Amino acid sequence: MKTKASKTWLTMLTLTVILSLLAACSNSSNTNSGNAGTSTVTGNSESVYKEKYDPPVTISTVWGVDPALKFKNGESIENNVATKWALDKFGIDIKSLWSVTDTNGAYATKLRLSLTSGQDLPDIVVVGNDDPQLAQDLIDSGAFQDAGALFDKYANDTWKAAMELDTNVWNPYIRDGVRMGIPLLDYAYNHDYLLWIRQDWLDKLNLQAPKTLDELEAVLDAFKNNNPQGLKPDQVTPLSIGFKNSLNTWMGDPSWIFGAYGTMPEQWNLAADGTLEYGSINEAMKPGLVKLNEWYNKGYIPREAALWDENKTAEPAVAGTAGIIPGPYWMSGWPLLDTAKNVEGAVWKPYPIPTGPDGKAGRHGTHFTNGVILINNDMKHPEALFTYQNYLFDNYANPAPGSEFDLGLFKGYDYDIDENGNPVFGDDIPGGQIIAPARYFLVRDGARIPDAQMNALLALADGKEPETRLEKDVAVNYGPDTPAAAKVLLSQEDISMKNMFTGPTTPTMKMKLDYLNKLELQTFNEIIYGKKPVDAFDKFVETWKSSGGADITKEVNDWYNTVK
Amino acid sequence: MYHKTLSYRIFNTLNTSGLILLAIVCIIPLWHVLAISFSAKSAADANLVGLWPVDFTTEAYKKTINNPVFLGSILVSIKRTIIGTAITLVLAFLAAYPLSKESTVFKARTIYAWIFVFTMVFNGGLVPFYIVIQKLHLMNSFWVLVLPGAVNVYLTILMLNFFRGIPKELEEAALIDGAGHFRTLFTIFLPVSLPAIATLALFSMVFHWNSWFDGLLYLHDAKSQPLATFLQTVVIQRDMSTMSMSPKEMELLSQKTVNAAQIFIGALPILVVYPFLQKYFVKGLVLGSVKE
Amino acid sequence: MKLLKRNWPFHLMILPSLIFLIVFSYVPMAWIVMAFQDFKPRLGISGSEWIGLDNFRYLFEREDSVQVILNTLVIAVLKMVANLIAPFTFAIFLNELRKMFVKRFVQTLVYLPHFLSWVILGGILVDILSTDGGFVNRIITNLFGIEPIFFLGDGTWFRITVVVTDMWKEFGFGTVVFLAALANVNPSLYEAAEVDGASRFKQTMHITIPSMIPITIVVGTLALGNILNAGFDQIFNLYNPLVYDKGDIIDTFVYRAAILNGQMGFGTAIGLFKSVIGMILIVISYRLAYKLAGYRIF
Repeated sequence: MKTKASKTWLTMLTLTVILSLLAACSNSSNTNSGNAGTSTVTGNSESVYKEKYDPPVTISTVWGVDPALKFKNGESIENNVATKWALDKFGIDIKSLWSVTDTNGAYATKLRLSLTSGQDLPDIVVVGNDDPQLAQDLIDSGAFQDAGALFDKYANDTWKAAMELDTNVWNPYIRDGVRMGIPLLDYAYNHDYLLWIRQDWLDKLNLQAPKTLDELEAVLDAFKNNNPQGLKPDQVTPLSIGFKNSLNTWMGDPSWIFGAYGTMPEQWNLAADGTLEYGSINEAMKPGLVKLNEWYNKGYIPREAALWDENKTAEPAVAGTAGIIPGPYWMSGWPLLDTAKNVEGAVWKPYPIPTGPDGKAGRHGTHFTNGVILINNDMKHPEALFTYQNYLFDNYANPAPGSEFDLGLFKGYDYDIDENGNPVFGDDIPGGQIIAPARYFLVRDGARIPDAQMNALLALADGKEPETRLEKDVAVNYGPDTPAAAKVLLSQEDISMKNMFTGPTTPTMKMKLDYLNKLELQTFNEIIYGKKPVDAFDKFVETWKSSGGADITKEVNDWYNTVK
Repeated sequence: MYHKTLSYRIFNTLNTSGLILLAIVCIIPLWHVLAISFSAKSAADANLVGLWPVDFTTEAYKKTINNPVFLGSILVSIKRTIIGTAITLVLAFLAAYPLSKESTVFKARTIYAWIFVFTMVFNGGLVPFYIVIQKLHLMNSFWVLVLPGAVNVYLTILMLNFFRGIPKELEEAALIDGAGHFRTLFTIFLPVSLPAIATLALFSMVFHWNSWFDGLLYLHDAKSQPLATFLQTVVIQRDMSTMSMSPKEMELLSQKTVNAAQIFIGALPILVVYPFLQKYFVKGLVLGSVKE
Repeated sequence: MKLLKRNWPFHLMILPSLIFLIVFSYVPMAWIVMAFQDFKPRLGISGSEWIGLDNFRYLFEREDSVQVILNTLVIAVLKMVANLIAPFTFAIFLNELRKMFVKRFVQTLVYLPHFLSWVILGGILVDILSTDGGFVNRIITNLFGIEPIFFLGDGTWFRITVVVTDMWKEFGFGTVVFLAALANVNPSLYEAAEVDGASRFKQTMHITIPSMIPITIVVGTLALGNILNAGFDQIFNLYNPLVYDKGDIIDTFVYRAAILNGQMGFGTAIGLFKSVIGMILIVISYRLAYKLAGYRIF
């Protein structure tokens, strides 16, 4: 009797589900068909480009707010000094459809959800590279227009010149030859790395900075077994690196060790025959893995390197127990500035990446972009975006002295003027300082010219007094040794290897890449930890190719041929 | 009397010291966080803080208290916890009563019970939920924090099981006296289920206090988001490889001491409430006294 | 309809909850069909392409599928058992404490770890379990004179560590339910037993433990619904390439794959798979409990 009863209500339950299912289906089809028709309207390009719009025009957008971004005077991302400025200056009213604090990929999730739920998409969407697939999904939605054409028509010379520094920046957003989004330019070399070495240790040991891997090994050995700070061997981390998530990242990264043998793991490199090749399957990985295994056995790298992510590798460096840490040129501003507070007399100096047995060296390169600007088909005044951006590229990106933004962006935010008429910065600003108010701008970071920051740093490194806005900015905000580090970084400009594949995820990648990545990291870690012989690498390459890697290589090269 | 036997005394001593040791093992991590919150930034970033602050300072707390968003979010959290818990308790209390009946008394109960349990296991996922929230105009409203999770099936089932433990005679006597089901529920069942209600309240409060995802996704303004959402945005480690930041910004992001202070202050209210609820389920006075 | 008339107060009491469930649970469930689609956000349910079981194939046709599902099951089952036994046992021992002050003190402290997120605890664990002078390994090497154990870098130890630390984090909070059950025990039962001269051990065996059994079955059964959830936050913060073969679970792989795919249909499919398995287990244990013990869990 029990079972009979339960069968009846199970049937009922199923019925309920099916009914509500049908109801929801018919609902959703209505909403979606309503939207599909509108996407064919093309941008109205007849309105003329103006320096100021009267009556004001509206640009709608959505925001993924950086968790670190602060506001003052009760402002918010929707309504702040930058939105008022845009309205006064250009007659552009920035209208926010929604905003979300961008943590755990919340911005991407919310954008996908609003796509799905048929909410109106904004005029301008700015998407970062942290979820590369999101930009591709948005482009595929068909809601956005040919941004390249608009760019050619309206962008000013400064912006165009900046874009031409690397023509590859358009690659990820090209669909059938049409440029569907404007790449968001960023400063060059930001995540290229060099070696930070404890100069005080070198001096006390009477050692020169290492130029080759062999010399480096001698330094590591001296740091460990003959520590000038009096640390016992097991208290020292001679070389602070970790590879919990990746062998190729931005701080505490081991990829330059493979660079010394001629490859760069976890990215697509240009092979001798002109095709793209996946760096992790290059034969040169082998000696690199052997070297790391050796260093692991000798205790030169952390015993728990497989558990360490980027931030963890910084800990011993700041604590003053690490001798060398690979990392970006700006590390003297953060986090290494604090080492001297924990260990008196600690000095970090930047040095070039050491070379391998054949004199080769390599480091991973940084793309000139960190995202994309998408322009909605329905945007009434696409030219207004260019009014806004052109001005920033001319007057903010890297202006000659005497521009509107000479002291900083907004008075009372990143700078102020005291009663004597002198500029004040930092904590002296009444009500507190806002770091990077450029994030208030419609397009994240306002406007950046890729090589501008490096040029400013090089000028400072040569002893020039900071004059331009950028020179002042890097002098104040980037740490004492940053100009010197920039110089070291650029002295090895030719060893920087960028990931050459920036296209959309290929079909085989979708199916297989996660497994292949997992297999790769696991194999490499096991070789480094001595759990497997180095020959396991050959087997890995074989499996990699047969489990989809060969197909992926073909797809990647097919894509490369379309953009090359 | 067993209390006097030697073996019981030995057991009691061992038991007491063992449990105290266990308690200490449980407090250490929070203690460590507390120590970090009172330490100098340079020491915290270098992971040099153990169980005692290094270079004692209250700087992190000053920064936390001066952050208007943080304080505002505590108020949102308190409001959501109180209102949310109240609604959940009322719904669970009401629904558990008929569900606790035998199917001979209330035939439909089994269907209802499975309808409830089914939702514990199956869900449509984020997309449809988002659409429902939008269609109901709950987007960007305080009620989005309270209404969608108002029915807590797990708690309803716990309540239902507690109701079953209540002696049948109590209820029958009331029904014979001519009281309806509603009156029986509120005059007879309510007083004897205080330990259960305290338990449910605790679970529900903790749930509301810790929920962060809804606030992040459905509330657009940082000022109206609850504390858990705020904490989530400061604690999470982020991938720096995709965007360039200046060292100044990196420093802002890695304020270990301030984060520690915020975590500690964030956990405080729920810790303060606990002892008040605790007395209900540490000793079973209520039910016992009624039965006598 | 006569039935409805007699029981109308019952229906009325359930109605509010039912409305909430229909609106916020059952209506959204219609979208589970996404699991069978190559779901594209802009196209919605009606416009997206039907791909049958392709989303499920991705889970089952990976080279490491069996391994991942097995890992999930092993870790989840061990956790489930540990998270039942630990609070159960702890509640019994706590119940024996005579001094009210100590009892409340202990109980308050053990409940604290529940409030720390795995992001924080993960960082702390990496430090105290370190083979390089971590607190736990220092004790082990000094006490037993053995080599340090690589808790987080060795597959088997990793599983043990995950289960034990999860148990440690949650047992205090989990105890609350059992304590509430104990609070429901009629004190006169103990008094009567004492008059009969029963030892404390016998009282525990015959009064305390039986009174906790029903709630244990309920909690255990409901936990079965989560049989394929091995705890994403914890694993994600602790795992590393050295333990992929023993520590990678369904949720971590879905997380990684979703970054590549950005596909909602795929996530829904995996969710549906987990739900179906969970539901089947709940139904089975509901039946078993009723058949064997005559006890209706809900």
